[in-house]
Amino acid sequence: MERTQQHRQVAHMRQSLFDQGLLDEQFVQLEELQDDANPNFVEEVVTLFYRDSARLVLNIDQALDKTPLDFSKLDSYMHQFKGSASSIGAKKVKGECTLFREYCKAGNGEGCMKTFQQLKKDYAVLRKKLETYFQLARQVGPVETACRRK
Amino acid sequence: MASLGYWDGFPMISALVCMATHWTGPMCYLRQEIQEEKMGFGKATSSSKAMKIIDTEKKISVLIVEDDPLIQKIHKVMMAKFGTEVQVVANGKEVVDLYRSGASFDLILMDFEMPIMDGFEATKELRSMGVTSMIVGVTSRSQDSEIQAFMKSGLNACYVKPLNAEKVTAVLNELKNN
Repeated sequence: MERTQQHRQVAHMRQSLFDQGLLDEQFVQLEELQDDANPNFVEEVVTLFYRDSARLVLNIDQALDKTPLDFSKLDSYMHQFKGSASSIGAKKVKGECTLFREYCKAGNGEGCMKTFQQLKKDYAVLRKKLETYFQLARQVGPVETACRRK
Repeated sequence: MASLGYWDGFPMISALVCMATHWTGPMCYLRQEIQEEKMGFGKATSSSKAMKIIDTEKKISVLIVEDDPLIQKIHKVMMAKFGTEVQVVANGKEVVDLYRSGASFDLILMDFEMPIMDGFEATKELRSMGVTSMIVGVTSRSQDSEIQAFMKSGLNACYVKPLNAEKVTAVLNELKNN
């Protein structure tokens, strides 16, 4: 009984990530690739995303410290970040990346900095929630199939 | 490797790709059937009598050309899930070197931005070598103009990253129809 309740808790946690706009359909695509041959696939891919993100956040922070701002470089870094975020279905973070790039194109340094601060917050929230979700999912054990949102 | 054409004067009768997509995972097989007799090409020769019906289920071979480990992992597992045989290289020069050494693949998934040699240059080079493998661009560039520019290198098709089940199905259907 307790196990069923734990499974429900995991499912609810997962659904909330979509309902809060943090994740999109791409995350479901990753879940569907997870199987006995790749039992930890989603978490492994998300870990690669954290690695990419750490590098890019550092690069962007350093680039934002320079004067004058190199918008082309900033745009290039953010293009990479957006690509990574898209790959795991990190919807909100992806949206912030798009906004940042628009500020780059407009040469709006302040807009870039504000957006980047928000992006880092959103990224931290996503990371924390995913880590909690994966930890609970591991404790509870595998569920048969990922539930597809309607 | 899948190929349509003629062998010893006899047409390859059918190359059939069967796909069933369901929640347990899509599977894709390539079946080559070689018929015993020539069809509409006159009398069977002694060599045709020696031919047997070979019904082999041969996997489609896919080469992923991609420098980002995150995308490599996703695309590799995705293509394997569709029942294809997958290899991965990290830049355009590696795919050119592979083909120069005599390797060949049914399908190449070519990233655009890569170090050493990018997807545009690699595709151009492969086509100039006479490579007729299906080459599908997979890029994070989403502007029409950027995609058209990449297509000019000699791609058969181009998709924006990341690949998903729908895009892979479309690619494999395109491979079946070629």
